[in-house]
Amino acid sequence: MHGVRRARETREVRTARRERERAMLSTYLALTDDILSRKKNKDWSRDAFDLTTQLLSTHPSVTNPEFYTVWNYRRHILTNGIFPRSSPEEIKELLNDDLAMTAKVLKVHPKVYWIWNHRRWCLEHIPDSPDYANNQAWRRSAWERELFIVEKMLDADSRNFLAWDYRRYVLASMPVRRSEKAEIAYTTKKIEANFSNFSAWHQRTKVLSSLWASGEVDRTLSLHKEFELVQNAMFTLPEDQSAWLYHRWLIGSGDNKAILEREINLIQTLLDEQPDSKWCMESLVTYKRLLLDNHLPTGSQEKTTAINQCRTLLGQLEEIDPMRRQRYWEMGAQLKV
Amino acid sequence: MSDTLLIDLHVQYIRNLGNNKDDLSYHMTAHRLINGVYWGLTALCIMKHKEALDAQETIEYVMSCWDDEAGAFGPHPRHDAHILSTLSAIQILATHDALARLNATRVVDFVLNLQQPSGVFAGDAFGETDTRFLYCAVSALSLLGALDRLDRERTVSYLASCRNFDGGFGRVAGAESHAAQVWVCTAALAILDRLDVVDVPTLGWWLAERQLPNGGLNGRPEKLEDVCYSHWVLSSMAILNKLTWIDSSALTRFILSAQDPEGGGIADRPGDMADIFHTCFGVAGLSLLGYPGLDDLDPVYCMPASLIERMGLKTGWKALPRREG
Repeated sequence: MHGVRRARETREVRTARRERERAMLSTYLALTDDILSRKKNKDWSRDAFDLTTQLLSTHPSVTNPEFYTVWNYRRHILTNGIFPRSSPEEIKELLNDDLAMTAKVLKVHPKVYWIWNHRRWCLEHIPDSPDYANNQAWRRSAWERELFIVEKMLDADSRNFLAWDYRRYVLASMPVRRSEKAEIAYTTKKIEANFSNFSAWHQRTKVLSSLWASGEVDRTLSLHKEFELVQNAMFTLPEDQSAWLYHRWLIGSGDNKAILEREINLIQTLLDEQPDSKWCMESLVTYKRLLLDNHLPTGSQEKTTAINQCRTLLGQLEEIDPMRRQRYWEMGAQLKV
Repeated sequence: MSDTLLIDLHVQYIRNLGNNKDDLSYHMTAHRLINGVYWGLTALCIMKHKEALDAQETIEYVMSCWDDEAGAFGPHPRHDAHILSTLSAIQILATHDALARLNATRVVDFVLNLQQPSGVFAGDAFGETDTRFLYCAVSALSLLGALDRLDRERTVSYLASCRNFDGGFGRVAGAESHAAQVWVCTAALAILDRLDVVDVPTLGWWLAERQLPNGGLNGRPEKLEDVCYSHWVLSSMAILNKLTWIDSSALTRFILSAQDPEGGGIADRPGDMADIFHTCFGVAGLSLLGYPGLDDLDPVYCMPASLIERMGLKTGWKALPRREG
């Protein structure tokens, strides 16, 4: 149970509630008993199918879309009972009905795994069109509608991780793939609407990695634009983790000394403006350590200076972020001249 | 608000859950009832009140959830088998020293048949995949002494493919890091003795940053705190031996403030309705933080540590030292 406020129930209130619930309970138990008995008897009839619709979605008082056994049974009825005596058009209509039904249920229960699963199953069972030329259009419209629906879900809750996972699945399954550059544009839109949306930043790390690997986008050129985007977020909301995490991804293993130094200077500027910024200090320590490990010669004056700067920053972090004091202390102890 | 763990009240709360059969909500949540029994039993064991639920009755209930067609356990009689409910059944039987009751050959076959070519596991015959199910498989096989039948290499390679730049792991390859998925992945790797796959400093940092100013932990950046992360985050940190990287007193206070001081049980956050899931994970978190008077929890299996040690399955995790009462 998440986010349900506690209400004290006196004995009287409890009795009254149970009285009210008694009729619902007996309806629910009768309906589930009927369904589970039919399931045991391998009843693949339309009547049985309609009963599962009631329980999962349309009953006026006792729906339960989390009852996954009933979703399973519904799919068995379709594949064993109804599909074998239906034309491809009819099967497509049945699956469309189920997609429409689950879209409605998802609006109320956006985090119920079983509903997302059922949609996936429906999409994967859309039959071939009897008209061969029409095949592509048939599937294409179903998957495009799916992308539209999952985007609606993400408009309602931009951090819903089930919806993000499902979106990645849809993008990977569409018969006509959307370009990855279009996906970059989607994450830009999400990020610009809310810099705190780490889910969108995360998605950007995945899509850009893929674009860089395929050579479709030049890494060096696009890095420049990415730093610009993330710096905008860092300077706007310096206390927000999302942008700093993304910045860390851009820096990666810190093999480019020029970029490291440029970013260190930039963060130092921000720290001068916001002298208590934990994320500035934390990032400076991380990047200075990358500089130490990758670029500064052993025994050099530069190295000693960088180590001393890290020690000072870690000391400040222990003061301003005492919850994580032990970590900063351990990091300081590991710094070797 | 109480500053101590109200053990008697919580024991009473858990005991009463089985007496709610006239409540609509009891039946509406039957699809996770066996998980509820496991959460209740585990919380009771950690609070040293295992006897509060009748062992024989519990074992018979678990056996009544057997789905003979699938060869595994459902969450309630007449419900379909699933790997989530199957692991709960195994955990309950193991806790009551009754593993001999189940048909291990069939259960092991059920589990192994769910592995996909990529190495991930499906939850049931319908094929939804998730690193949660991979953990369930690895934990179940380990508890049944059948890990030697697992294709370890494929399993580990799937886990590695779910690792993100922030050190965390997601539900599937490509998914955002989430503390609950971090736990299932690190715990599975701990069982498989492959923690070398984890980038410990980065993940330790990401986990430490889950603590918010009010002491509670969230599951992802820029999200709200929730008591259940006291298990997902802390158990992961215990596995990585990084529990000292957060403020344990502040977290202890947060968990205690989410107790229902009248009805018993622990909620997701202060003032909310208690439930058995958060009660179990709140108590689990307190145990790892060294709260006085509790028994040790094994963070890899989320079961009593003494039992896991007796079964010869203990790994190298580290909790905070138990404080004097």
